[in-house]
Amino acid sequence: MARILYDEMYDASGAVRPHYREFARWLANTPPEQLAQRRREADLLFHRAGITFTVYGDDQGTERLIPFDTIPRSIPASEWRVVERGCIQRVKALNMFLADLYHGQRIIKAGIIPAEQVLANEGYQMAMQGLDLHRNLYAHIAGVDLVRDGDGSYYVLEDNLRTPSGVSYMLEDRKMMMRLFPELFAAQRIAPIDHYPSLLLSTLKSSSPVDDPSVVVLTPGHFNSAYFEHAFLAREMGVELVEGADLFVRDEKVFMRTTAGPQQVDVIYRRLDDAFLDPLAFNPDSMLGVPGLLSAYRAGNVVLANAIGTGVADDKSVYPFVPDMIRFYLDEEPILKNVPTWQCRKADELSHVLAHLPELVVKETQGSGGYGMLVGPAASKAEIETFRDRLKANPAAYIAQPTLSLSTCPTFVEQGIAPRHIDLRPFVLSGKETRLVPGGLTRVALREGSLVVNSSQGGGTKDTWVVED
Amino acid sequence: MKLTISHDTTYRYDDQVRASIQYLRLTPQESERQHVLDWHLDLPCPARAQRDPYGNILHVLNVDEPHDSLLISAHGSVEIDESREAEHDQQSPLPFLRFTRLTQADEALRQFALHHCGARRDRNALIELMFGLGEAMPFTPGITTVDTTAAEAFAKRGGVCQDHSHAFLACARSLQVPARYVSGYLFSEDAGHLASHAWVEAWLDGAWYSFDVTNGLSRPERHLKLAVGLDYLDACPVRGMRRGGGGEQMHARVLVNQPVMTLQAQQQ
Repeated sequence: MARILYDEMYDASGAVRPHYREFARWLANTPPEQLAQRRREADLLFHRAGITFTVYGDDQGTERLIPFDTIPRSIPASEWRVVERGCIQRVKALNMFLADLYHGQRIIKAGIIPAEQVLANEGYQMAMQGLDLHRNLYAHIAGVDLVRDGDGSYYVLEDNLRTPSGVSYMLEDRKMMMRLFPELFAAQRIAPIDHYPSLLLSTLKSSSPVDDPSVVVLTPGHFNSAYFEHAFLAREMGVELVEGADLFVRDEKVFMRTTAGPQQVDVIYRRLDDAFLDPLAFNPDSMLGVPGLLSAYRAGNVVLANAIGTGVADDKSVYPFVPDMIRFYLDEEPILKNVPTWQCRKADELSHVLAHLPELVVKETQGSGGYGMLVGPAASKAEIETFRDRLKANPAAYIAQPTLSLSTCPTFVEQGIAPRHIDLRPFVLSGKETRLVPGGLTRVALREGSLVVNSSQGGGTKDTWVVED
Repeated sequence: MKLTISHDTTYRYDDQVRASIQYLRLTPQESERQHVLDWHLDLPCPARAQRDPYGNILHVLNVDEPHDSLLISAHGSVEIDESREAEHDQQSPLPFLRFTRLTQADEALRQFALHHCGARRDRNALIELMFGLGEAMPFTPGITTVDTTAAEAFAKRGGVCQDHSHAFLACARSLQVPARYVSGYLFSEDAGHLASHAWVEAWLDGAWYSFDVTNGLSRPERHLKLAVGLDYLDACPVRGMRRGGGGEQMHARVLVNQPVMTLQAQQQ
């Protein structure tokens, strides 16, 4: 099937797009041996920095380096400003949706979202009903996954409102590029991103009503695939990295054990799923959380970022309603497009999906990380038939979307430089204001033709530039 | 009917516990069916009360001093309105459609529910389901634990009130009927019958109706409600964690009395 592909660097006639000209000139003038040498340096430096990734579903549980590609993804500033406004608009609406859902449920009463779809959803948490949060913030840190279709327009693929990861790669990729190729940054104005940790810290602090609150990062521990990132962000923000056992609850307050005695904690940037936060309230077998944490949270004595129960808003079965949320809460038209989505829980949409499996992408509503999805055009007949059975057995657990072509970006591969598919995850911070640093994390599918960019599925990353045009 | 409760739970530990924290759901609430005349908890140290996610009264007990035993006592009396069969609610019942690990319906439970209810979703259908489960899972202490799932207990064809309740929840939810776990006390003339009890409520015609599989009761005349939740873990009277202590023995003693002169008897 012939597809129109949008390439980030070259236009349809093969000419270099204006915002890539400086880079193309540099690439043409740099000897290939020198580039190869720098790329080897990058691998070495990443290894030394310990930026690795545990691959789930791999029997060896191996830690792997996430491949870093030295050809940046570049976005003209004028284009970025639209994406930025679109992300802010979307995350504002999603936060308003969560506040509404756990209070008056106006959007249900207005008939915009069916009650059962959200209230019977696994991500909906009774613990949040009627609970007032400072500034009505639920998703303090959101990752909005964007792709570009053949015509170059941006689509939101999914919202990540629980514990979106990857921002450490965004920051480390930039550091690496500046270290390896300082000349590129001297030649043009590339928007800085190194203030992300300070923005994150001020976002976390502004989520608490306490003056100068004490902030910690709560990690499930070093077996978690994103442990590096947890340690990285704590260090960059200058706050403590803690595990559940380092915290305890007394008199409905959370304290950290320190050598100088207990110290009260006001804000927990938690990188732990809801189910593991408090073994007395959720999964009783989990030793990762803090017994009593939910009672302190419900008493209003500690902020969790993100809040409990945000998963109901980034569920893929709720995704189709986000444009309507934007219209309902903000009275605005969505700036960023949604991908048309078939909800397999509806019989007529299911039959359409079953009839068109080879063309569609089918995803689990609660899935993440690219596990348990079918990319029809890339799948074998046997894979499609296996998936068909799973889909029929539990239609409500799946949605389907047309296969977007996904834009490409030139990427170093074994044979030289070749186009590979990419996406973009900007990180949206909601505190006193809703802000983001320019760009985000660009992920690249390194296998030729692959549309799955997740690092767990063999994806790599690129530095992301927003360039003044 | 006026019920007087005395409920002591004693934990003894092999070693010293350095610190412990407990979530206690041991305080009944005012409702259409029950009027709390007096109630108090005797605890080793003061505990704060708050509402838990399901609206239950929750006390959080922190014991920070080293201890090798813990005594938790609840005492009080509650007037039960026997004429009320159902309770109304402001909150949506829809979250109670959700399965949990303990209440997941497997194929056997789904088929069992369909066999008894067919296309009917009314109270009579659920009463038949209740009797059906009671027959299929005769009261059999010792073959299940607090961790046994509905499907496991159903496959073993037996269990205690917790297992009966989980199996009923799995069936009801598989029929798209919202249903919730209830923990509380049961008054029973048979003194040998444990008085701490669990049953379920299902949402029918805009109200919660009770179903006690273990005793085959669809009218909650002798039931004093403490807490509700998606399953045992949400509603159980005591859930705690401790640092240190080694092994543990738990001893619970519950007395549920119906005084000879009840309020209603006086009125008659």
